[in-house]
This record gives sequence, structure tokens and C-alpha cells, in this order.
Amino acid sequence: MCSALTPPPSAVTHRLRLFAPTSNPIPIHTRIDFRPRASSLNDTVPSPSSSFYDLLGISESGTLLEIKQAYKQMARKYHPDVSPPDRVDEYTQRFIRVQEAYETLSDPRRRELYDRHISSGLPLAFSSRRSNRFDEELEARSEWKSNWQSQLNDLRRRSSQKDSRGNVSWGARMRRQRDEQVAAD
Amino acid sequence: MILMMMMMMPVYASSLRVSFSSSPSSSSSSDSVRTHLSRLSSSPLLAPSPNDGFQAHVRRKPGVAHAAPLSDNSGEYHSRRPPTPLLDTINFPIHMKNLSIRELRQLADELRSDVIFNVSKTGGHLGSSLGVVELTVALHYVFNAPQDKILWDVGHQSYPHKILTGRRDKMSTIRQTNGLAGFNKRSESEYDCFGTGHSSTSISAGLGMAVGRDLKGRKNHVVAVIGDGAMTAGQAYEAMNNAGYLDSDMIVILNDNKQVSLPTATLDGPAPPVGALSSALSRLQSNRPLRELREVAKGVTKQIGGPMHELAAKVDEYARGMISGSGSTLFEELGLYYIGPVDGHNIDDLISILKEVKSTKTTGPVLIHVVTEKGRGYPYAERADDKYHGVAKFDPATGKQFKGTAKTQSYTTYFAEALIAEAEADKDVVAIHAAMGGGTGLNLFLRRFPTRCFDVGIAEQHAVTFAAGLACEGLKPFCTIYSSFMQRAYDQVVHDVDLQKLPVRFAMDRAGLVGADGPTHSGSFDVTFMACLPNMVVMAPSDEAELFHMVATAAAIDDRPSCFRYPRGNGIGIELPPGNKGRPLEVGKGRILLEGERVALLGYGTAVQSCLAAASLTESHGLRITVADARFCKPLDHALIRSLAKSHEVLITVEEGSIGGFGSHVAQFMALDGLLDGTVKWRPMVLPDRYIDHGSPADQLAEAGLTPAHIAATVFNVIGGTREALAVMS
Repeated sequence: MCSALTPPPSAVTHRLRLFAPTSNPIPIHTRIDFRPRASSLNDTVPSPSSSFYDLLGISESGTLLEIKQAYKQMARKYHPDVSPPDRVDEYTQRFIRVQEAYETLSDPRRRELYDRHISSGLPLAFSSRRSNRFDEELEARSEWKSNWQSQLNDLRRRSSQKDSRGNVSWGARMRRQRDEQVAAD
Repeated sequence: MILMMMMMMPVYASSLRVSFSSSPSSSSSSDSVRTHLSRLSSSPLLAPSPNDGFQAHVRRKPGVAHAAPLSDNSGEYHSRRPPTPLLDTINFPIHMKNLSIRELRQLADELRSDVIFNVSKTGGHLGSSLGVVELTVALHYVFNAPQDKILWDVGHQSYPHKILTGRRDKMSTIRQTNGLAGFNKRSESEYDCFGTGHSSTSISAGLGMAVGRDLKGRKNHVVAVIGDGAMTAGQAYEAMNNAGYLDSDMIVILNDNKQVSLPTATLDGPAPPVGALSSALSRLQSNRPLRELREVAKGVTKQIGGPMHELAAKVDEYARGMISGSGSTLFEELGLYYIGPVDGHNIDDLISILKEVKSTKTTGPVLIHVVTEKGRGYPYAERADDKYHGVAKFDPATGKQFKGTAKTQSYTTYFAEALIAEAEADKDVVAIHAAMGGGTGLNLFLRRFPTRCFDVGIAEQHAVTFAAGLACEGLKPFCTIYSSFMQRAYDQVVHDVDLQKLPVRFAMDRAGLVGADGPTHSGSFDVTFMACLPNMVVMAPSDEAELFHMVATAAAIDDRPSCFRYPRGNGIGIELPPGNKGRPLEVGKGRILLEGERVALLGYGTAVQSCLAAASLTESHGLRITVADARFCKPLDHALIRSLAKSHEVLITVEEGSIGGFGSHVAQFMALDGLLDGTVKWRPMVLPDRYIDHGSPADQLAEAGLTPAHIAATVFNVIGGTREALAVMS
């Protein structure tokens, strides 16, 4: 059903080929946006479901410099002191969110947690408050746990293969030799 | 009840061990049992704490070191030794075997407090040790050192390991003369399997031990702990490549804390680690491809509608299986079975994985990817940009380090300023270093010229050849690598730079003896191995002003490679050239600093300062001697040497380097020139033919026999004034 996923060649751009009900596969870029977009780009406050990256207008693999530049741009634009008087509340809200986005993305550790948060697909709004982050950390760690548990199971299964006659590596030969000696004693 | 508990206690040869289970018991009887047991199990070295001996600490935050405050207002850390009741009962790993998981967690917390307390008193490497506390506890709990071999790459994170392996009482002497080494040392303890200091050697050594074990028919385990920083070096891949091929059973633990350079930060804040490997490792953690697929799936679902939702969920599951199940192609391709990522601060997880791997009969090489945080458990370290990698003595309560006040700055800082001045004048000047932006001072250069400073990760060999490539294109690369680490890149220096006569400039910091880091880090051999190369210009400044001039000289030498060496430590306080811009020196010309008679001291590098001090010592005994600064080892100042040899009875060459260096070149020239056929006596003063152990710089210099007193004594001994020699030495 699903055609082979090409592994991402670099951290910067990814292309995924996903099957479609129609015959031609659609090449889709990293950031797909099916949310309804306002006609004018920057006027409405984005919905809480948009990510910090969307908020700053950069790609998910943006560098620290890009993040800084985007933040400075946004901050200058949406600061309550320079916003048009009829849109102060809206702009202030946006400014606060931009601030939060910058704080999270500029710290490598928090950015990493945030990346994990998005990948887990939770619908909750991300907050940098400690308790929420702790819950997320727990959740992310438990994902890891199921991961390595299956890897350990796999290791056990492979170990029987490693001892078979077919394995001619140096290590396998030495192990067989050692086992034969132990059996002989 | 009490009788039953007594019968459950296994008795060991050395001390009485207590195994206390966490089964509930009535409070009064358990109290009396506890006090009785606490009297019985007193370790021979450390008395149990005055607190109620085995009561578990209430932990305020998971994973944070906790020291019970003596008063409510004294804060979390205090400069008295924090109570460590459980750690007090552990002298060797065998004492840990009966602890429960809860007790092991408590042990980890106590171990963390102990590390912080010890390093606060002595200085040393803090952040890395804090990051591996849980890992150390888990390793020693699951494996049986010293039969099982546990290797620590670099070794600067092995402070918890040393505490748990019988050296806790000596931790106050770490990195000091005659004390514990700051890295692993085979002669120090049987639990230190392999001497480390330079990075990326643990997998190679571990594989050697695994293969040796196989050949000898033994059954112990071999575990090599290596960081993601050390993983950027080629030797790690050479080792993994070989390990995958040989298929011998061994465990590699990749300690991933996203720290590659020292510090992994610029002067302005934390920075992402250099190298493509780091982003590959974080992709393993954040599972980005999975997320993208999910986004796609969500989007497709929304667009197409209800029935597709099921399909999308299936796609999700399929993708998860494909991506997470495959582990990591990078390590798998090399033949190592990949397990991870694992939370490196969760002892339960670590122990279950290690136990599982240990008990699996045949594994071949396995790589466990453990994710830790450098400096974990000490908030000041967690927040610092350099994660408190290497610290001086500090106050645990505030995290403030006690940095001595020096009137001058370090040679490292002067070098960085000199290079910045050169780079301002010449846009072709670029700097290269190998993950040592802090130690080489090039973080200063980076701030001024962000696009002209290259951090290649821990890859000295690549750094040299990379610099050679830059030189081919007409740039002026300054390859700044510690003298000791330059040893790694020697073939590249010879073959890629010197043979082709490419104008690469080598700035070798930490030349000579380096103090607390010890012989693994001392730059004893660079004069020897650089000066024997046909095309290399070799020079050494005797003070910081000379350093500025030599940076300018090196920048000006554009037709052949050049190098200069400078030591750890601070300048002497001489006036610096204006605008930090040095003047290029005349190549192959030294200078005379003091005019005297009978004996001439020809010094090379900062040993000249010791010569000047020796001259004032001899003057107080009525002998005014000549002191000259050779400046260049290659090409030698022939005229200077000829004139010194002809007008003095004795010529003593002094350098802080091994045999085969400056003194040997002078002797070679003198012999060929016929200067040794006359009446002049030549004597060399070099580092002795043995490794000088770690200690204070003054102690090391005394051990090496290169102090001003030693030099003055040598002067007197050669001219027959043995009484003065003795007087000077006492």
C-alpha cells in the first residue's frame, strides 16, 4: 500500500512520497498545511493548533540565527507600543505567543522537547511551564521504553542465530571453540 | 522478627553487610533493628553519618542531588560534607549487589552530592561526572568489576566510578601531586582497565580486551563508555568497523548529551553541537520522519474525509514499525546492534537493559544509546553554557568559582587577541580547532569572525589536512591544537603539510608540562617531532609580547609551514605591542637578554624566564652569566650560537621538552661546525626520560629538574663550583 519511504538525506529538506487514491503519487514537502488560512497573511491571530515554527514563520529545521531574526522581526511588529490602537489586544496576544515561541526554540534543550511534543501528536497546547513539560517528558520517555523493549526482544531472538554453524565471523568461531572446550571438560 | 532479619544478612570477609528489604515492619521493632544494625555495619574508612542511619531520604525532585539541610534556611547545598548514609557503606562495587532499586536510586543521589562536594573542594571535571552518575551505579550494580572490564573514554567523567571503587577517601587529593589522577590510570587501581585522557580510544581498547578474552577462553564482559563528542573522532569508527567484522561480544555505551566541543557554546550562549553526526543522533531521539509522516497522514485524512482516517492510522502504525524498529542504520551498518534511545538518568531502565544484555548468551557487539544531561542534578551546572565542564574550587551553595586574581592574562587569551589583530589586517587569515573553542581561545576569534573560525569536532587529523586544503586555495590557516593532541595528527603534518611545503601555521598551546591534567595532556614532544621536519619553521616565544610577534611572523611566512608553541599559564606582565598587532620577526634570529661571562644559557620558549631567574641566583653568588633567547629552533641562529660558543666556557641549552628537540639541534650544528672540537662545554637541560605525574606546575617543574634553582646549580656544577651548586639548591 505504502510505497517505500525515502530516508531523509539531510536535516534540511525532506520529501515524502505518499500513496494516493489516484494513480500519480503526490510529492509532498515537509510542512503541509491544511488548516484554513486567512487571506491576509499576518493580520489574524493564528489558532492555538499552529506550531511555534509557524508562528515565527520559519521551517522546522531553522537555525538559531533564523529564529532570532524572525523573533526580532515579529517582536518589533507586534509590540503593544507600536500596534495600531484598534488591534492592541490581538497584537499583544500574538506578541506573547511569539515571545513564548522564541524562548522555547532558542534553547536547544527545550526545542528538542518541543520537537518531541509535536511528533507525539498531542492536541494539547504546548506550554513551557514546568509541570506540563514534565508530563511530556514522561510521555516521551515511555515511548522510548517500548522502543528499547522490543529491541531487547529482538536481540534475544538474534542471539540464537549468532551461534549457528552458518555464522563464520571470528567471534562466532571463538565462541564455538570455547563452548566445545567447556563441553569437553 | 529480629532473629529472622539477622539470619538474612550475608556476611562478607571485610565488613558486615546489611540487606534490608523494603517489607513493612512495625515501627518500634524496626527502629531497634536499625540502630543495632547501624552499629554493626561501620565501614573501616568512614563512620556512619550521625543521622538515623538507613532512613531513605525524602527526595524533593526526582534525580536532583539532595543534601539534608542542617537548618531550614541553609539552602540545598552546604560546604560541609553532605550526609551520605548509604554511600558510606559502599567501598567497592561488590557492596552494592544486595541493594534494592529504591536504594540504588538513593545511592545515586548521594553519589551525586558527594561528587559535587569533592569537586567543590579540589576543582576538576564536574559536569561530565554528574551526567553519568546513574550510569555508573547501574554498571557497577549489574557487572562485576574488575573481572568485567568497564572502560571510560577520556576518563574525565569517572569521578563517580572512582568513588565507588575504593578511592572515595582519596578524592580530596584528585589532580594534585601524589594524589589520584584526574583520568583513568591502570597503575592507580585494578578497576581502571585502561589509561585514558585523549578521546575516542575506549572502543578500540575494549575490542582488544574482548578479543584477548576470547583467545584466552575467559567469559567476562567488556563495556566501553564513549560520549557523542568522542564519537566524532575517526578512531571510534575504525574500532566499530573492526568490532562489527570480528563479531566479538562487547557492549558500547554511547553517552549522548549533545556536547561535542569544550564548551558546546559560543561566548554568547549555548550552541548546537558541530557535525552531522549530532543531528543524526538527535533525529534518533525526536523521531522526526515519523512526525512528518503523521502530519502528512493527518492532512490527508482531513482533506479526503472520514473513511481515510482508518487508513491513515494504519499508515501511522506501519511507519512506526518501520522507523522505530529499524533502530539506527548508522550503527547497524557497522555491525553493532543498536538499542535505544534510553533515558540515562532512569536507573530502572538502565538496570533492566544492562541485565538483559548481560544475560543474553551471544550478542556480538551491542551499542546502547543512552541520553544524559551534562551537569545534571546541580542547577548551576545545568544552566551554565559550559555545563561546568572543568571548574576551579567553588562554593556549592552558590556555584561561584574561586578564580584566583592574576595580573596578566593567559597565553591562550593573548594568542586569540593576536590572531584577531592579524585577521583584521588580512582577510585570508582563518582559524581551525578541534572541538576546543574554549581551551584554545578561539571562541573569541569566533565572535569577531564567525565565518572564519572552523570547529571540526574531535578530529585533529582532519583538521590538519583540512588546513592544508585551505592553504592550497591561498588562505592562511592557523591550526590551533594542543601540543599533546597534535601527536594524533602527526602523519598529516608530515605528509599533507610539510612534504608539500604548504603554508599551514600550527599554534600549539599547552606546550611543556601542564599541571593537574598530567602526562596525558602534557606537550613534551612537540619540539622534537616538529623540528625534525625539513620544511618546518619552528619557533617559541619567551613571553607574551614575543607571542604577538610570532603570530605576526607566522602570518607572514607564506612559502612553507611554520609552528610555534606556548605553555599553559599566564604572561609575565611585559608591555604588549600597540593595537595587539605584532611585528614579524626576522626568521632565524635570536636575541641576547643578559650579557655576562663564562657561562651562557641559551633558552628556548618560556624556559628563558627560568634562565633569567637562574641568572639572578648565580649573580647573588658572584657569577654574572649570559642569557640568550634562541626564538627559533629551526632555522637556528648560527651566528648567535657561534658567538656564544666562542666567548664562553660553557653553553647550556634549556627547554621544556624531551630529548631530540632544541638542544639536540644545537648540538648537531655545533658538531658539524667544529665548535665542539675546541674548549667549550655543551650541556643540555631537557625533560627527563620519564613521564612526569600530575601535580601543581611548581611541583612538576621541580620533579623535572628545570626550576631556576636547578639551572643555576647546573651552571655551578659544570664550572666546578659544587659548593655554590649545593647552596643554590637548598
